Amino acid sequence: MADHQISKPEGPVAIAKAEGASLNPLDPIARFNRSKLKQYTNIEIVVASILFIAIVILAVFGAFLQTHDPMQGDLMARFAKAGEKDYLLGSDHLGRDLWSRAVAGLQWSMACALTANIINLFIGTTLGLMAAEKEGWARTIIRQFTDTLQSFPFLVVAIVVVVIVGHGFVPLVFTLGLLAWVVFMRVVYAEATSIYQRDYVKAARIAGVSRIAIMFGHVLPGVRASLFVIFAFHFAGLLIAESALSFLGIGAPLGVPTWGNMLAESRQYLLKAPGMLMVPAGAIVLAVITMNLVGDGIASLSRKRGRSIDV
Amino acid sequence: MTSVASPSSVLNIDNLALHFLGQDSVVEALKGISLHIDKGEVVGVVGESGSGKSVTALNILRLLPRTKTKIPHGAVSVLGRDVLTMGEKDLQHVRGGEVSMIFQEPMTALNPVLRVREQMFDVIMRHQKITEGEAERLSLNLLADMKIQDTERVFNAYPHELSGGMRQRVMIAMAFSCNPKLIVADEPTTALDVTVQAQILNLLKERARATKTSVMLITHDLAVVAQLCDRVYVMYKGKIVEQGLTRDVIGKPQHAYTRALLNALPEGKKPKSRLETVAASMIEGADSAAAPVVVRTTIQAGFKLYGQGQPLFEAVNATVSYPKKYNLLGRAISFQTAVDHVNLSITEGQTLAIVGESGCGKTSFANSIVGLVPLAEGELRYKGKNLKDHDDLTRREVQIVFQDPQSSLDPRWPTWRIMTEPLTVGKSPSRNELRETAAGLCEMVGLDPSAIDRLPHEFSGGQRQRIAIGRALSVHPRLLILDEPTSALDVSVQAQILNLLLDLQEKFQLSYLFISHNVAVVRHISDYVAVMYMGKVVETGAADQVLSRPEHAYTRTLMDAVPTLERAFAA
Repeated sequence: MADHQISKPEGPVAIAKAEGASLNPLDPIARFNRSKLKQYTNIEIVVASILFIAIVILAVFGAFLQTHDPMQGDLMARFAKAGEKDYLLGSDHLGRDLWSRAVAGLQWSMACALTANIINLFIGTTLGLMAAEKEGWARTIIRQFTDTLQSFPFLVVAIVVVVIVGHGFVPLVFTLGLLAWVVFMRVVYAEATSIYQRDYVKAARIAGVSRIAIMFGHVLPGVRASLFVIFAFHFAGLLIAESALSFLGIGAPLGVPTWGNMLAESRQYLLKAPGMLMVPAGAIVLAVITMNLVGDGIASLSRKRGRSIDV
Repeated sequence: MTSVASPSSVLNIDNLALHFLGQDSVVEALKGISLHIDKGEVVGVVGESGSGKSVTALNILRLLPRTKTKIPHGAVSVLGRDVLTMGEKDLQHVRGGEVSMIFQEPMTALNPVLRVREQMFDVIMRHQKITEGEAERLSLNLLADMKIQDTERVFNAYPHELSGGMRQRVMIAMAFSCNPKLIVADEPTTALDVTVQAQILNLLKERARATKTSVMLITHDLAVVAQLCDRVYVMYKGKIVEQGLTRDVIGKPQHAYTRALLNALPEGKKPKSRLETVAASMIEGADSAAAPVVVRTTIQAGFKLYGQGQPLFEAVNATVSYPKKYNLLGRAISFQTAVDHVNLSITEGQTLAIVGESGCGKTSFANSIVGLVPLAEGELRYKGKNLKDHDDLTRREVQIVFQDPQSSLDPRWPTWRIMTEPLTVGKSPSRNELRETAAGLCEMVGLDPSAIDRLPHEFSGGQRQRIAIGRALSVHPRLLILDEPTSALDVSVQAQILNLLLDLQEKFQLSYLFISHNVAVVRHISDYVAVMYMGKVVETGAADQVLSRPEHAYTRTLMDAVPTLERAFAA
């Protein structure tokens, strides 16, 4: 219980002294130390935010940041090294600028992963809530279906589906979107089931609150924090899945600058031009690390605010 | 009685202070306490949550994380040796060897994946050099000392195969297994039923006497202390405010806090009288936002009395059963009856209490009334008509308040929204209307109306329970089901909630169905009592009659098991 006395020095000057902060009101560090922001910030969150903002800027303003046309090659300037002939990160086997291609690939991969992720979120949350709400045939069917889907190796299924429905952005997004929602369903189902056991949900039911109002008023807000976290982690997973499919030649159409395609092209020139491998591989690693950091950051934020645990 | 430690002290704590280091705050959990326990003494440490009693206990064995605590001054010595400066190896010897602990929750204190046999061996063979055969004989003897009949079965059982009382016996047997000089028991019976509690406490006392072991009993229950302890220390906010022989401290309390604590107990007070509460200044932080109860009659002005003499609510042969086994198609083929043909009735403005131990079906019965579980048989009548045939609005005149105020409020909702949630059903009143209603409800339940924007975690347990009561009152209920509304609260807060309930009943002629295992509370608040045992009502009648002159054998057992201050002194 909180009825211990918290020893606190009196007055703002004493507080500042006790915290070892400067008394200069213009000192931004002192102000930061006293501010609420400090409670919610740590180095992880700062790094994640910087990387994330950089990625968003690249994705949105990519067209202005490309130094070359990503599709246009210059056969006179094949395999340029980084910095050579105004190629920032070098050029590939057709003399195309790797930097510009990486930026273009970012846009393609991000758009694909984001759309698929939103579809995943929607399907997984809906099914998870439906299954958690009430015991009965709906729960049985949804859970069995989820188990079945999860028991297949995801990439193999995705390969089969893509081979059948064909290449391109839309088929790829829908394949990922319709197959990869299992993690959302599982987490939502588990958390929602526990929320449905709480007394405040019982009290709402006794007061006659409708099932829909309970679902959107109590249960969905209760799983929201977790949804943000999975959304970030899953985003990283989808980025990898998209790159893997493209690498295998069944994701993005050939020739489109995506990270997976770039990796696939680099295979033949591995020894001659390692930059062709390093640029897209580095981009994937950075993007995945960023999304994981963002996920961790959201998780620790929601813990600090005491909402995801104080329930 | 003096606090001077004699050389024969088993435990000696001298002016001990302990701080918890938070991220940017320091919490002073102990502010210089001194206590001592002599050989063969049973000493009680009483206090409410947050008083520092458990911290004291854990610190004897240095069980608190060292990086998060700081001991500015003081000393703790066990058998004359300083524990605070001891190395980890010596501590290992003290832990379990010289001092052993019994925890509140035996399910978590025992390892669920090991048999009792392995766990006892582990303790015994770590501290004594004996063979496995000898250890087995010793263990079986210890279990037999705990009055366990089928020692072999218990010895070879996993913790989940044992009942709560049996687990606690095993814990005590293990605590005694290495002939410790001191046993620290931290709320050893709080999680147990009254009848089991009585047996466990007797066992603990007997064994301690027989082996001349000292016991430090930590509890919030003054009656338990009165029954068991030679001496008692009363703790309040990290300080010891009173100490002495149990009879003196409880019979003639000197410190204001001890007196307040005793006055807050419903025991021995005139039924339905308002209990004295620990002055708000003393328990600041615990329930400081509580304002005096001011009732705005506009909120509840519309209530109509149903009619004198007729029962407002009746249960006729009410039966609740849960499926136990299913066939292949998922249909239940056998049932467990939780509530067995219960017949009860409540008149307007009166309180019927259901008393019983865990598993007797009292909560299932409550849940069936509010429609959370279906009735297998029988009928629930409200105002002379089957509850099911009433329209939704009338059905809402039956409301419930749950036991655990932690789980009964949505942690993400502000208070005003929680309290007025029932009012939004089928209607959409404006935000301002709802906030105004909530402010009125706050006043009604003794909360500061300006608190309506706060979130549940900003309130104490007692305040949360007030919010839950306010939510139930928002729909003008006539019958309020109170499912153990005070059992998660401290004694002083319990007194405040009981007073509030009595006030509200008087103002609005509310009927209460009060479910509890606490006989003293039931005696205080109820007009009629029904005693439930294994799903059946075994005895009903006027509260005074049933509780003072019980007829049924089970009721008598229950009454005998309840620790009371009165009986402790009579003995």
